[in-house]
Amino acid sequence: MPEKAIITMENVSTVYEGESRPAIKGINLTINQNELVYVVGPNASGKTTLLETVNGLLPPFKGKVTVFGLDIQKNGKKIRCQIGYVPQDFMVKPGEPYRAIDVVLMGRYGHIGFLKQPTEEDKQKALDAMKLIGIEDLADRPMGKLSGGQQQKVMLARALAKKPKILLLDEPFSNLDPDSRGQIPLLITKLHDEQDLTTMIVTHDIHHMLEHCNRVIVVTGGKVTFDGTPEQALPLVENHPHTTSLKEEHHH
Amino acid sequence: MIWLEFAIMQRALIGCVLAGFLMGLIGVFVVRMRLSAIGYSMSHGAFAGAALGVATATNPLATGLLFASGTALVIGPIADKARLHADTITSIVFPLNMALAFVFLTLAPEVGLSSQVANVLWGSIISMTNSDLLYLTTLFAVTLAVVYFVWKELFAIMFNRKLAEADGINTKPFVYLIIFLAGVVITFSLKLVGGLLIYALLFNPASTVLQFSENMRKVVIASPLVGMATTVTGLFVSLFFDLPVGSCIVIVSTIVFGVALLLSPKRRRKEENEK
Repeated sequence: MPEKAIITMENVSTVYEGESRPAIKGINLTINQNELVYVVGPNASGKTTLLETVNGLLPPFKGKVTVFGLDIQKNGKKIRCQIGYVPQDFMVKPGEPYRAIDVVLMGRYGHIGFLKQPTEEDKQKALDAMKLIGIEDLADRPMGKLSGGQQQKVMLARALAKKPKILLLDEPFSNLDPDSRGQIPLLITKLHDEQDLTTMIVTHDIHHMLEHCNRVIVVTGGKVTFDGTPEQALPLVENHPHTTSLKEEHHH
Repeated sequence: MIWLEFAIMQRALIGCVLAGFLMGLIGVFVVRMRLSAIGYSMSHGAFAGAALGVATATNPLATGLLFASGTALVIGPIADKARLHADTITSIVFPLNMALAFVFLTLAPEVGLSSQVANVLWGSIISMTNSDLLYLTTLFAVTLAVVYFVWKELFAIMFNRKLAEADGINTKPFVYLIIFLAGVVITFSLKLVGGLLIYALLFNPASTVLQFSENMRKVVIASPLVGMATTVTGLFVSLFFDLPVGSCIVIVSTIVFGVALLLSPKRRRKEENEK
């Protein structure tokens, strides 16, 4: 089967609002259908900016991002309905008036359409996503009362409830307890394969990376400094238990 | 005594019910969408506008609305892009609107510190006309319809605007819709509470209810009821002690918030957790 490009970035540079220094610069990247890509790199190297440029939350000041062959800046609303997104370090404060099931159901809102209310089917899909992650018993609990790991699972369920074609996960396992850290990446990999998803996972934690993904991208100083298979990435990371120690000289 | 005059009393009571309900309802969205700086600035914009209306003997509602929308149009995009901190916005816009209001109020010498000026400053129950009630009733229907039909978008934006965008919701029109509605609701409630105090009615009911409920649907139902109860109680306190109605409403709503803070199960649980 010929490889089908799902995400393409052509010479893309993005700056955060109010800043003049580009967070990512001159990125050229093609992500094909059913690729599971781990994006690694030091702190503040531009990994999050890369993901937010892919889903169009940050407009590039240079270059073009296309998803499913469409310009994300012109078709953002339509495309984002197909992208399950988990932001980095997302935490709801105690006392906030949102139940876990409400938050998961929000993942379906893009599909429901203007002036329409969620149907029973939408609610069922939200519950199914919670079951899949193993948190259905948390459905009626207020988000603010959940632990960091539980909240992270709710955000994953929210992304999955959408029935996305693309998953963009920004440090999705960072707050999970050790057991879940073993299970959840496996689950994501399984879903990725079963549902023919295209997945980009930003992570600091490279321990699971090599066994789960089929492509590794290293972002350093806003540029892609390595792009290859996990096997190729192995010599690069095995001497560096933490990606923060990845240096510029480790070019592909 | 004035409160025995039935028609005035009836209008004031209906006015309090409608304004209290609307401010309590729209306040939830203003507070939860972090639009407080805009709400605060618009309140005083409406005040300055109403003062201009009094000074120029035009309809204070129209000029109030003009100033509230003007303030929102200027501040909205700035706050939207978060280029300025909310504190900076309010610190600059509040004194400016106050300064404008006082200039306007002294512009027309024949007006001076007449009852009309007093009404704009701290509200009056006798100022409620039948047309005011008609406006408030229309606004009541429109606001309820808006909240019902676009609830899911508003709910998602209140939770997190960026995530709402990531889920395929174009958030900007909804945020501006709430800003616009808040401006209109503030302007039409101004006569009752007065320009100096109106913003309290926008924030107090929502903040009170948020001390208790962990379900946003319940917050949206309870906040307007609290708003309504505090304005009506404030009205009766004002009549009983012969005090300005706006002040009484704000004092009542602040006491209610204070009690809520003391009784809040959320706060208690938090303290227990910290032990």
